[in-house]
Amino acid sequence: MLTGVISLIAIIAGIIIILLFIGIGIYNLIVSLRNKVDNSWHQIDVQLRKRYDLIPNLVETVKGYAKHERETLQNVINARKLGIDAKTVKEQAKAENMITGTLKSLFALSENYPNLKADQHFLRLMEQLNGIESNIAYARQFYNDMVMKFNTRIQTFPGNIFARMFNFMSRDYFEIEEVSAREPVKVKF
Amino acid sequence: MYEQIASNRAKTVFIIIGFIIFITLVGFAIGYYLDWRYGISNNYSIILMIFALLMAVIMSFSSYYYSDRIVLSLTGARPISREENPRVYYMVEGLSIAAGLPIPKIYVIGDKGMNAFATGRNPQKGVIVFTKGLLDNLNDEELKGVISHELSHIKNYDILLGTIVVVMVGMITIISNIIFRSLIFGGGSRRRSSKGSGGGILSLILIIVGILLILLSPIIATLIRLAISRNREFLADSTGALISRYPAGLANALKKISMHSEVKTATSATAHLFIANPIGKKSKVMFKSLFNTHPPTEERIRRLENMSLGVGIK
Repeated sequence: MLTGVISLIAIIAGIIIILLFIGIGIYNLIVSLRNKVDNSWHQIDVQLRKRYDLIPNLVETVKGYAKHERETLQNVINARKLGIDAKTVKEQAKAENMITGTLKSLFALSENYPNLKADQHFLRLMEQLNGIESNIAYARQFYNDMVMKFNTRIQTFPGNIFARMFNFMSRDYFEIEEVSAREPVKVKF
Repeated sequence: MYEQIASNRAKTVFIIIGFIIFITLVGFAIGYYLDWRYGISNNYSIILMIFALLMAVIMSFSSYYYSDRIVLSLTGARPISREENPRVYYMVEGLSIAAGLPIPKIYVIGDKGMNAFATGRNPQKGVIVFTKGLLDNLNDEELKGVISHELSHIKNYDILLGTIVVVMVGMITIISNIIFRSLIFGGGSRRRSSKGSGGGILSLILIIVGILLILLSPIIATLIRLAISRNREFLADSTGALISRYPAGLANALKKISMHSEVKTATSATAHLFIANPIGKKSKVMFKSLFNTHPPTEERIRRLENMSLGVGIK
């Protein structure tokens, strides 16, 4: 009788221990995925900073040739400030879309200034900016992949239980919208 | 992905252990042969076995740490700077970010043939090697496809296994060649008549086993190379397409590469590392398809076409 009770307790204790270990495993997996999301966000951030550093330089160069295009230049500077001040992923994404859009109109503007277009410094800045922009796109791709993995893990069973218990929140994707598509395109013939 | 990494690590350990056992057995076989020729009391078998064991362990360790450098110098690759080729640097940098990998070093082989491979023992030590012909002849999308393919080899730890195999297989081939030649030219029949009785049959069996082992070693080596090579090319193709998000780029690159993929500095020991078979069509081997280190290009392109639904394929 007594041995029966003891073995029952032992079995239950064994099951609890096994469940506990499985739980620890899942918890650790979620945390490591979350860290990967954070790290991949950091990768985007590095590229964004590079772009922020380049923009003042670019604006100064353009100013030298096109003094009267104050509005376009100011737009670029404003968008950059918005990006630096952004707190959340959504704000950041919005600001970056603006930066990309305003830079596009800046480049479109350079078409009107042959001297600017021939400036070696300007050309080098353009080239660097293109490189950084494609790196941003790649970093964004990796970040969104990681977010998808993390979100799927905490939204499906049994991860969703842990998400509720330990307050894991779904992350936002870094989404780009085609800003230029919504802006009227100036065409000069 | 993680299963692939785990399996590659396990296979690496397995190959290293197999290598150590093989070398030890060969040492024992040679020793036994010497004992049989010059009298049992000399204990050559034990001495040579221990010697071979030590050698094998040292070789294994050194091949783990130095095999990437050995492979790079075997193929005559040299590092290039960002200034020399900014285009490839930008691409490798961007795609490494997309793959979530540290940026690998970039090397170039000065060969007109189009080919590429990756080496290193882990992603932190990753190296991608391109031939000059590849960099000159592929357009941006195609080159990105090739880079993504190589990056997925790095990500999967294929580079560790592939690179170690180069060195191990190379050593086995060299050792078996030496033994085989000394057996043939050394002449082994001088004392056979005088020592007819006792352990004669046993030693004869061991010698036969030893010779078989030696004869089999090139085949074993080939089989190892096949086991690690074919499927992972398909896998790297599809993982690569996930990195570049453009399967057609790699498909078009493979089409171009397959026309002219010979690399002069590549040998049968390093062939399996490359994205396409670098050994020219000169080498006519029987059962060629059985010993191919690479899956047929048409099949690889077909799978990539399925992934891209044919979009962008030339």
